[in-house]
Amino acid sequence: MKFKLPFNKQQQQPVQEAPKENLVRVAHATDHFIQSIKNATNNPADLIVKYLPPNVTLIYIDNLIDDQTLNNDIIANLQSKPHDTPEAIEMALSIAEVSQSSLLRETVELMVNGHVVIHIGGFPQTILANIASRESRALSAPENESQVIGTQVGFNESLSTNISLIRRYIVSPNLCNEKVKIGTRTSTSVSLLYMRGIANDQMVQTMRQRIKDLYIDELIDSAVLAEMIDDNSLSVFPQMLLTERPDRFCDGILDGKIGVLVDGSSMAIVSPQGFTEFFQSQEDQNLRWQIATFLRLLRLAAFFLSVYLTPFYVAALTFHYEVIPQAFLVPLSESRALVPFPPIFEALLLEFIIELLREAGARLPTKIGQTIGIVGGIVIGTAAVQAGITSNILLIIIALSALASFTSPSYMMGNVIRLIRFPIIILAGFWGFYGIMLAFCFILIHLLRQSSLGAPYMSPFYPPRLKEMRDSIIRMPVPLTSKRPALTRPKDEHKFVPEPVKPDKS
Amino acid sequence: MAKPIQLSPKDMINAYLLFFVVHGAQIGVGIQGFQRIIYQDARQDAWISVLLAGIATHLVTFCMIKTLEIYGSDDLYGIQIDIFGKWIGNFLNAIYVIYCSVAFFSVLRNYIEVIQAWIFPSIETWFLSATLLIIIIYAFTGGLRVIVGVSFFSIILSLWIFPMLVFPMEYATVDSLLPILENDIRSILKGAQSMTFTIIGFEILNVIYPFVKDKKKIRKPVHLGLLVTTIIYLAVMLVSIAYYSEGKLLKTIWATLTLFSFISFPFMERFEFVAVCFWMLIILPNLCLYLWAAYRGAIRLFPISEKTFVWLFSFIVLIGTLLVQTRTQINTINTVFGQIAFYVIFVYPILLWPIARLKKNFASKKVKKNE
Repeated sequence: MKFKLPFNKQQQQPVQEAPKENLVRVAHATDHFIQSIKNATNNPADLIVKYLPPNVTLIYIDNLIDDQTLNNDIIANLQSKPHDTPEAIEMALSIAEVSQSSLLRETVELMVNGHVVIHIGGFPQTILANIASRESRALSAPENESQVIGTQVGFNESLSTNISLIRRYIVSPNLCNEKVKIGTRTSTSVSLLYMRGIANDQMVQTMRQRIKDLYIDELIDSAVLAEMIDDNSLSVFPQMLLTERPDRFCDGILDGKIGVLVDGSSMAIVSPQGFTEFFQSQEDQNLRWQIATFLRLLRLAAFFLSVYLTPFYVAALTFHYEVIPQAFLVPLSESRALVPFPPIFEALLLEFIIELLREAGARLPTKIGQTIGIVGGIVIGTAAVQAGITSNILLIIIALSALASFTSPSYMMGNVIRLIRFPIIILAGFWGFYGIMLAFCFILIHLLRQSSLGAPYMSPFYPPRLKEMRDSIIRMPVPLTSKRPALTRPKDEHKFVPEPVKPDKS
Repeated sequence: MAKPIQLSPKDMINAYLLFFVVHGAQIGVGIQGFQRIIYQDARQDAWISVLLAGIATHLVTFCMIKTLEIYGSDDLYGIQIDIFGKWIGNFLNAIYVIYCSVAFFSVLRNYIEVIQAWIFPSIETWFLSATLLIIIIYAFTGGLRVIVGVSFFSIILSLWIFPMLVFPMEYATVDSLLPILENDIRSILKGAQSMTFTIIGFEILNVIYPFVKDKKKIRKPVHLGLLVTTIIYLAVMLVSIAYYSEGKLLKTIWATLTLFSFISFPFMERFEFVAVCFWMLIILPNLCLYLWAAYRGAIRLFPISEKTFVWLFSFIVLIGTLLVQTRTQINTINTVFGQIAFYVIFVYPILLWPIARLKKNFASKKVKKNE
């Protein structure tokens, strides 16, 4: 069964014959040249044209460049003594990135990227000096993936800052960085990062191809890109990790994964990613292995609890009273005595309320969000029970499963957990345990069918790799996990040569 | 020799996964109530019958692997065409396809009956049948990789059911097993023959063989799978005989489920409600593998796409489940199918092996003569 995708990943780029404006050359005459630039950029208000007698003209966009560099390193140098050839001017500038161009289109493109255009009357070419300055916020702690022990720095919206963060973690010439421009209108910079000698060439090629094959007009955030280059964009389960932690990103890259950064987005894409890895936090690496194992098992239990606890309640109360222990039957029926609704309606109502609270809390400013949480959680909860709309026990169960869904370190996976609960509750309300089992089997098969960048999604459980399970839902001591995961098909399988777990102390 | 099946490495599975395939295909609906049928013949020596049946599976599998190894990389369908020629070969293939389809149908219908008898007496047969078929279609269209994955998870995730046998042991008495070997060999053998319906499933090896990556290594996982199945059946049988008082077992259709029915935990009573529903995961590999085996045979008989086949097949099965309604009918189907399966699974492979060998010797001599 293959559904038609809403957009074709293998879409052919329309064959573009080089349009005439691509080949228009830069004019000799200064007036003519300025007019052509103004026409090409629709004469924006922040376009500055500055004459430097006798024949030099500077053109730039005010908001894109660094004023200080412009004054000190360009204007000062050009004013000190006259230069009459492009080569002489190029020599005179104390700027690192300087180039020449004779094509108008190229000139304009670089200008809107933050280059200063220097034109000399009588010469059919321009000199372009890169003094771009991009506004970006300071680095701050990652808000969505906070952790207690570990680095407290997250990506921000600037691509160059993010890459410098990564280069600080991985000081190696083997860190490859490929740049691609995506979006016919936004021409957003996308960087593909991987380790040469570890990352699988075929996977890098697949990723590169998937990004290059995209033919879209805008790309604002990496989450959009992740959805479009996923193996199965229609699945509710994400197949690529979105992270705002540079340490997690680098850890993935060192395991042979491929990272993608998008300019203007504070989330990085890491792929291939297995299903269980969504329940791992970078903090697990920083904790002792016993504690990390406990936390991972806790999160796995939370996943099952969150998905199946409410449906189990609904199914047991609707069809299978026999399953409930006798001692528990009395308090349960007492608490439900006043409730006029069937369990399925009761559960859906409460789930809906809790989703409302979550959504309201996420949209409001932090201060108000907390207040809403208290008002919603305590007031509505207590009032609902006293008004006899829901039972106390269901309230506990719903709150528990909501809490459990937030333990997933990936917000994307947490959303999935909260969503898939609803169909399962409905199935449980109509067909009891049979319905729950139906949903369970369906999800299992669905997960088995998925792949991440061509690698099996359920790895290392299926295909079973016993040795890799040491670092899956449990985490064994570091010397026992010296191999890279086979999920990424790494070229170099061993991270290091393991030493004995307990070396003899001399 | 017929042209071997061409496969890309992506479709192939590792040899050790055959453990899960064989074991997953064997355990299914049979285990829910096989005790009564064996007990009818062999009484308290029924466990010996189970043991004999288990040994028989090892022998038959040995012959199967020998036959398959002669041809290297071909499945039973190809072998039959090569040995018996186009017409008889295709006729035998058609029988095998029908056999797989009936096995599929039988598993499905039995499970539906269990659900209706134990949990939802009022739920419609067509609904249960349709929902199960949809799940199976979803797994089947994922390809062999997904089907084997389902077998794997089916076994791993149901491991916890086996220790539940400890609970009835509390009320069991060893005296019920005595005296050993009181019944004559004939009735014990007859009991072993009655195990057929419960213990079959390993014949999937005939079809999956070309899809295995390292064919030399298959013996260990396959025989291990058979061994584990035998041990589980033996354990269930021993506990059942020891738990039920004399004659009670004759009147219990689903003895295993009845065993479960009094297990209770502080947080859950009437464990069998969960067990019966959970059984869906256990029969899933049965159904998927039989459907897949039928499909592999069907594409040799007539050109049919995977999609058309699976929908047509599901539709016919859906109609079938509606036609067979009563307990007597289902029981008759189980018995008749068990008898036919005995010849198809336990007798035929042993005959096929010498024939395949003779044919091969004959063919190689012919080639030498021509040279």
